Amino acid sequence: MAIVKEAYTALESIVGAEYISDDPVICEGYRSGPGGYEAGCGYERVMTKIPGAVILPRTTEEVQKIVKVCNRYKVPYVPYSTGFYGPRSHCHVENELLIDLKRLNHFEIDEKHLYAVVGPGVIYSPLQEEAMKRGAYVVIGGGGAQASVIANLIGDGWSPLSHRIGLPHRRILGTELVLPDGELVKLGSLAIGDDPFWGDGIGPDLRGLLRGYTGLRGCLGIVTKMAVKLLPFQPERLIPTGISPNTALQLPEKRVKWINFQLPSKEAQVKAMFEIGKAEIAGAVTKVPLFWRAIAKAECKEGFWELWGKENEDTIKNFFIVRVLLIGYTSEEQMKYDENVLNDIMKELGGIPRPTKPTDESWIKNADSAGMWLMCGSYVSVDYVIETLSQATIHGEYYAELKKKYTPPLMPDYGDPGWFQSFELGHQGYSEFLIYWDQDEDTTGVDHFYVETSKMNIKHRFYTSLLGPHQPLYLTGPKYGPNYHKWLLKIKNEFDPLWVCHPPVPLAHDIFVEKAQWMKPLKDWESPEIKIPPEV
Amino acid sequence: MPKKPLSLDVTVLDNFVYDMSRCIKCKGCYWVEHTYMPGIKFTTRCPSNTWNPFDSYGAFGKMRIGHALAEGKLSWNQKLLEILYADPLCGACDVGCKRNLDLEIGLTLEALRIKAVKDGAGPMPAHKKVAENISKTHNHFSLPHENRLKWVTSDLKPSKKADIVYFVGCASSYHNPEIARATAKVITSSGNEFMLLPDEWCCGNVPYSVGMVDEAKEIAKRNINAVKETGAKILLTSCAECYRMWKADYPKILNIATADLGFKVIHLLEFADDALKNGSLKIKKPIDMRITYHDSCGVSRLCDAWTPWKGERGWMGTVSPPLKRRRGREGLYSQPRNIINSIPGVDFVEMPRIRENAFCCGAGRGTKVAFPQLASFSAKHRLEEVKEIGAELLVSSCPWCKNNFTQAIRDEGNKIKVMDISELILSSIEA
Repeated sequence: MAIVKEAYTALESIVGAEYISDDPVICEGYRSGPGGYEAGCGYERVMTKIPGAVILPRTTEEVQKIVKVCNRYKVPYVPYSTGFYGPRSHCHVENELLIDLKRLNHFEIDEKHLYAVVGPGVIYSPLQEEAMKRGAYVVIGGGGAQASVIANLIGDGWSPLSHRIGLPHRRILGTELVLPDGELVKLGSLAIGDDPFWGDGIGPDLRGLLRGYTGLRGCLGIVTKMAVKLLPFQPERLIPTGISPNTALQLPEKRVKWINFQLPSKEAQVKAMFEIGKAEIAGAVTKVPLFWRAIAKAECKEGFWELWGKENEDTIKNFFIVRVLLIGYTSEEQMKYDENVLNDIMKELGGIPRPTKPTDESWIKNADSAGMWLMCGSYVSVDYVIETLSQATIHGEYYAELKKKYTPPLMPDYGDPGWFQSFELGHQGYSEFLIYWDQDEDTTGVDHFYVETSKMNIKHRFYTSLLGPHQPLYLTGPKYGPNYHKWLLKIKNEFDPLWVCHPPVPLAHDIFVEKAQWMKPLKDWESPEIKIPPEV
Repeated sequence: MPKKPLSLDVTVLDNFVYDMSRCIKCKGCYWVEHTYMPGIKFTTRCPSNTWNPFDSYGAFGKMRIGHALAEGKLSWNQKLLEILYADPLCGACDVGCKRNLDLEIGLTLEALRIKAVKDGAGPMPAHKKVAENISKTHNHFSLPHENRLKWVTSDLKPSKKADIVYFVGCASSYHNPEIARATAKVITSSGNEFMLLPDEWCCGNVPYSVGMVDEAKEIAKRNINAVKETGAKILLTSCAECYRMWKADYPKILNIATADLGFKVIHLLEFADDALKNGSLKIKKPIDMRITYHDSCGVSRLCDAWTPWKGERGWMGTVSPPLKRRRGREGLYSQPRNIINSIPGVDFVEMPRIRENAFCCGAGRGTKVAFPQLASFSAKHRLEEVKEIGAELLVSSCPWCKNNFTQAIRDEGNKIKVMDISELILSSIEA
């Protein structure tokens, strides 16, 4: 399958024959599945297609021209930076154009005002390295060091380092956005000049349009340039050591140090996070899923299962870890002070320090999301919430309970309530729930679990992040906002009246439920007959 | 879930369907390992996908294409062959993937080429010509077989019988006699003797690398027997491609362990490093130059010893019995650096991408003959690193790297010098 000849010719004239192809072999390389984030599930099998053509623009102007051609010929298109975000960032309809943005790899740093300007082809680890060379740093989101900085910041963009650095949308500064019809919008201070130093600008703050809570998977335009705030770090270099797979950053211990504490109870664990935040110390405070510890220790898949197989519900239930990253931002003395405060807090709460290596394997420069596939071969984070610390941890417990019903096919994790941590010095608590399975098994349970989590969130009033394109919009929309779905669809209709920009997102999960027979038993919510564009 | 029989036999593509189906597009095969990411420049380690930016040229694209091929959704055509063969199989993708996922990317790419040949589609015409050359004249270039020993000058005295047999390889025998001579002199300068094979033939690197496994198997059998007949205990190479063939690919093709070859395979790097450490080789002359080292793929991430493995894949994709993955950890990373740093006066400086993250020169495994433009691109891209760090001399451990870099430098007209490690050692031990 391919896009219409006239459109192809017009597109070729924009980038040149070298950077466009409708060859079926080239297009096959852009298939979503069979592996990857959320791959091997029903959504990937039912909703994704290989592109009709692939194009690689170099500049914002080329992106604008491409999008205008797509509107002129009604060619559906999807923006694509690295393709890591699984089926939802791939083509969903036949004869769709995939706009591969990797050649938009513009990069510059304003060292004085601490921001970097990047294109969507720039990933995190080079940005972090350039920032650290200048005594600054960024959060490398849980999506991983290989994620496009822009794609991650308009979707997720958090990690344990968000304890101090804060929420991702606060770090989005001046930005260029090509709207679904090809018009260029400049956000923040770029709207009034050439300097992108500031995220706010005249008029309404359109950063919400970029990402909502956790992103719209490219269905409301293409970000071609973004200034990203850098934060002051500390001056000493973190030295890479080791040979793959045992590589790590050697930490200058007087300035950067991870310490793990084991606490006697869940209450003490949460209280420790509160107190650390209240004292305004530390660069990261987190409790990660316990099987991550086994991943870190294991050298291979089989090694993981040997370690993890020794655990049981009791060992997991009674293991309360808090992992703290101390950073001497201003001096060694400040680091010592922070460590003393931390030790006082832990002493009071009965926290016992556990042996911790003087290295960083993940989070500072190499957010190691790819390791999530080691154990089972298939993975997705089904949900994340930003709540209070105490609510965040309860969220994980509800998830763990629901998960039992779907284990197997989900990986046994003995009731581990997932990942939770402090955001913004304890002002918010973050909870993320991750699931793993083997895609060679019957994955119906995985598809069901995914939608059931929405119902659980609605029932228990958790403010789930996975709205919009992540779940059936007519299930979640009426319950959040309220009428989140109506707002979103009106915005979509307004900005993309032809629905050429990554259709049928944000209604894709609704359509999946309609198309997949095995999802019918779960469909107990009202929805109109889905039309594209929808009537709102 | 029932267990499925599995082996690492590259002649059966089905052994690698799991690996193709579990690629997650993290592009660990493409980017420099993030811990070592040097900054905004020199971020990638995949020559093919750096040369051609479509995803299909990266290992993650090839896994999807290969999976579609295995499932019968794609059939061979010119574009598919180009994507599959415009690739030096340098192993960067394989070690990158094994940082996290343990997928057998390198073996999968080999298995796809073997299938291409079996199906009558591959290899590329230039590869067929090389295979024909080897069949007729026992060397890569179709040069007269009788000229193979022309590099042996009167000052060199190979022994009739010695513990070390020096396998010279086609490149050094015909085009780079300076490497063969320097290697011979380094061996004898350390007080050791060496012999040559009575009738050396090509190692079969190109036929194996392009999927002509039957031809490669015959060459492997013939060459191993030839060494066994000499009674030598050590086979020494000065070519990274030969080294990889002898140490990893011959055992792989013949389903034996490297340890069962009947003799030890070493590269000059190992020999010289040991000789310098035990004092049998002495540095006499300082070299006042700013030098950098290029990790040739065959002596770095591609040279882990081979051990046959057969077993089953079961629940969650786990395999049994235990499988020791080849992660490139046995690469000769420290030896060249020890050698260079032992030379007084040398200002040794590393490039941003080194060891398992090194950017391949692009010449190896049949790439230069079929895709000279890719080989040229890769070498020039690597030379940008040399310029970035201001090195005067680029040292490698493979004649194919040396020749490719030399040609790129000539094309560019710049002043960087290129030397093989054997020449560098020789120039520092000769008073």
